[in-house]
Amino acid sequence: MSNTPGSPTLHSNAAMAVELTGITKRFGAFVANDGIDLAVRRGEIHAIIGENGAGKTTLMNILFGLLQPDEGSIRLNGEAIVIADPSVAIKAGLGMVHQHFKLVPSLSVADNVFLGMEIRRHGLIDHAAQIARTRDLSKRFGLQVDPTERVGLLSVGIEQRIEILKVLVRGARTIILDEPTAVLTPQESRELFQTLRSFVAEGMTVIFISHHLEEVMEVSDTVTVLRNGRKVATRPTAELSKDELVHMMVGREVSFDRRPRASLHGDVVLEVKDLWARDDRLLPALRDASFTVRSGEVVGIAGVAGNGQTELAEVLSGLRPASHGGAWLKGRNLTALSPAAIRQAGLAHVPGDRMVRGVDRNASIAANTLMGRQHRAPWSRAGMLNWNAINQNAETLIKSFDIRARGPGDAVKRLSGGNIQKVVLAREFTNGANFLLIDQPTRGVDIGAQEAIHDEIMRQRAAGRAILLISVQLDELAALADRILVMFNGRIMGEVAGDDADEERIGMMMAGVAAPEFAAETAS
Amino acid sequence: MRDHLRAASGQVIAIGVALLMGAIIILMVGESPLHVFMTLLRGAFGDQEKIAGTLLQTTPILICGVAACIGLRGGMFNVGIEGQLFLGGFAAAWVGFAMPLPAGIHTLAALALAVVAGAAWVAIPAYFRARYNTNEVVSTILSNYVAVLLTSYFTIFLFKRPGGWSETPPILATSYLPEIFTFSRLNWGLVIGLVLAVGAALVFRYTKWGYGVTMVGSAPKFAEYGGVNVKRQGFLVLLLSGAVGGLAGGVETLGVHHRFMEGFAPGFGFDGLIAALLANGSPVATIFTALFFGALRNGSLLLEVDTSASREIITVIQALIILSVSAQVLVRKRGDSQAGERRWKF
Repeated sequence: MSNTPGSPTLHSNAAMAVELTGITKRFGAFVANDGIDLAVRRGEIHAIIGENGAGKTTLMNILFGLLQPDEGSIRLNGEAIVIADPSVAIKAGLGMVHQHFKLVPSLSVADNVFLGMEIRRHGLIDHAAQIARTRDLSKRFGLQVDPTERVGLLSVGIEQRIEILKVLVRGARTIILDEPTAVLTPQESRELFQTLRSFVAEGMTVIFISHHLEEVMEVSDTVTVLRNGRKVATRPTAELSKDELVHMMVGREVSFDRRPRASLHGDVVLEVKDLWARDDRLLPALRDASFTVRSGEVVGIAGVAGNGQTELAEVLSGLRPASHGGAWLKGRNLTALSPAAIRQAGLAHVPGDRMVRGVDRNASIAANTLMGRQHRAPWSRAGMLNWNAINQNAETLIKSFDIRARGPGDAVKRLSGGNIQKVVLAREFTNGANFLLIDQPTRGVDIGAQEAIHDEIMRQRAAGRAILLISVQLDELAALADRILVMFNGRIMGEVAGDDADEERIGMMMAGVAAPEFAAETAS
Repeated sequence: MRDHLRAASGQVIAIGVALLMGAIIILMVGESPLHVFMTLLRGAFGDQEKIAGTLLQTTPILICGVAACIGLRGGMFNVGIEGQLFLGGFAAAWVGFAMPLPAGIHTLAALALAVVAGAAWVAIPAYFRARYNTNEVVSTILSNYVAVLLTSYFTIFLFKRPGGWSETPPILATSYLPEIFTFSRLNWGLVIGLVLAVGAALVFRYTKWGYGVTMVGSAPKFAEYGGVNVKRQGFLVLLLSGAVGGLAGGVETLGVHHRFMEGFAPGFGFDGLIAALLANGSPVATIFTALFFGALRNGSLLLEVDTSASREIITVIQALIILSVSAQVLVRKRGDSQAGERRWKF
């Protein structure tokens, strides 16, 4: 297996539709893109893959002129260009389909496609011509839509086709799609891939952003992997295997040492059995999960983001209904309880989506530490809040969790990401719950704070709590977990003991190769 | 604290811009802006009777403003306060003229029914919001028209006083809200408004329920995660908002008009909502913004006497204030454009 990253052609080359050289973009102290080189050949489907926050969208926004790079240069078809804003990009033949669609629901499909560049006849909009051209394009590329239908009545999948038509009508020869499959059903995704292939057949170029391995393997000619704002490699897809890809995506920049531990395994606190759940599109996202978590045990959930981990966490915390099966917390079935009742039954939850679920950014630290415990003394008595106790407690938490803030009255939005996470941890770890559900505890957190957060998780383990730790970082799981369950496509593919966490084996399962198959393969 | 100051200074600038634009319009109708504004000021605060008159106008705006603040705190835009006010006003009048009761108890009973009427009226949009996520802005606006016409129907066809006027029989003196001074109709309704404003602020700050509601309004997903029943609290907060809206109508009937008549309190519900928005949803700050609108209304009475400007100029200035305040809100929301877009997507 060759580990040398494919070196991009840096010299100007007219066969290249897009060449980015040394692109760097900083947001404050955070480096979103760090000296990225990217070369996209004309007539290929080029996938850009990486975890959430790897810098994919930033890079594409720079290419499309929505952001300006701090360093680096851009060439299109061999010619240097400064893309000051999207109109320059459109003129140069680029088109971008964003994650969030921008359509007018009350207008027809054709009117949306031609919005801002209407076909006119005698100064009036020529609807017939617009409809005819839309129909034409939609036939040619297999983008099935009825041009006369009102957009407000259509599904998300069709809205995406309209966005693609908009890009085509504006004369794009290179089309960027930002996570296009995130909103599609598997059937719609397959149709989209057909369309992308028909673009390439006509000599157009497609840049396709994704964090789903399988689609990338299925549809792309070339893959570029980004991780933490840097390019890991650009390689022809045909030369890559799924597990190599996982390896490059997840990588290991920070290696945490495995934390020493005493075996404390106590009683079963959480028992999950045959648990199924659907995602927001009502497709099965969690399939037949069964496992237990004992007191004094850290059970890790590994997997590439978007393989059912979010749904698992939401079902266990009462934020999403289960479609089948159950989860028992000390004998009580969580799937039948409200979020409030689940908390009462003994759940603490560090949510993965910390800014939206974990805090009220506008409220003070004190008000944020109150959530979930406002029903109990000493925080409230007879319905009245005791702000003295709440503020004092917040002050204590600020000290013991080393939260960098001026005081309990500070608004959470003034804190850094790591400190916001510490506010969440401080609240959840001190509410006396037996079962801790911890989702991505160190995402976007600096290394110093990561260490502190890991120390705290180990302290909770030593105190006999049962901990379910969901993380996309293998290092984190290898450092903390007693057992690691690997999820793929909503299923638990297998289990690995933390003590001999074999990254290759975990990687295979993350890529969807079941544990027994893998065993058979190595045996032969 | 710095946030409060920044928000407050934003509102002051918004009002300033509106007054400036108003001045330009006054110039265009051929009056001196200075003269018009001084007349307004004299008309609103010139002597004790004028001050009492201003406070009398302030009262329903303040109570409606508190109603709006309660909704806003829980993330609910109750634009139906006008309708709740009309139904509350009619309900209070009905108790006042149709049910003889001892003094004091009579007033309380009439106010109680006003509260129930307001809450019942908003319960319909609130239910659809909680059950089907129907946008409460649209449904409460529409409910206004029904409420106003419904009370007209009651007044003209069911309870019309003999004679030419479209009004109910006068209420019995036992149900009056007592007046504070001899020289004005200013009554205890103002005190009710002040107590409500301060009370609402205290409830939001110091009760468990208020905390939950505040979180539902400010970060609904966080509230849900923390175990607050978002739908139920949204329903309750609208119900409470409607109840206070109904109370405003009761106070107006029992304290000022002593009967219910068609179109008896035009625009107070909307003025209250604007006062609440101008106050950033703070009930205590609403006391001052309501006073501002009360002063504009009362001052405008003198305007037609002493200047050649029409009192409609006040409506124009109010509209300009709405425009500049909403422009300001949009500017402030820009950093949060996702949320903003969704908020206004009907």
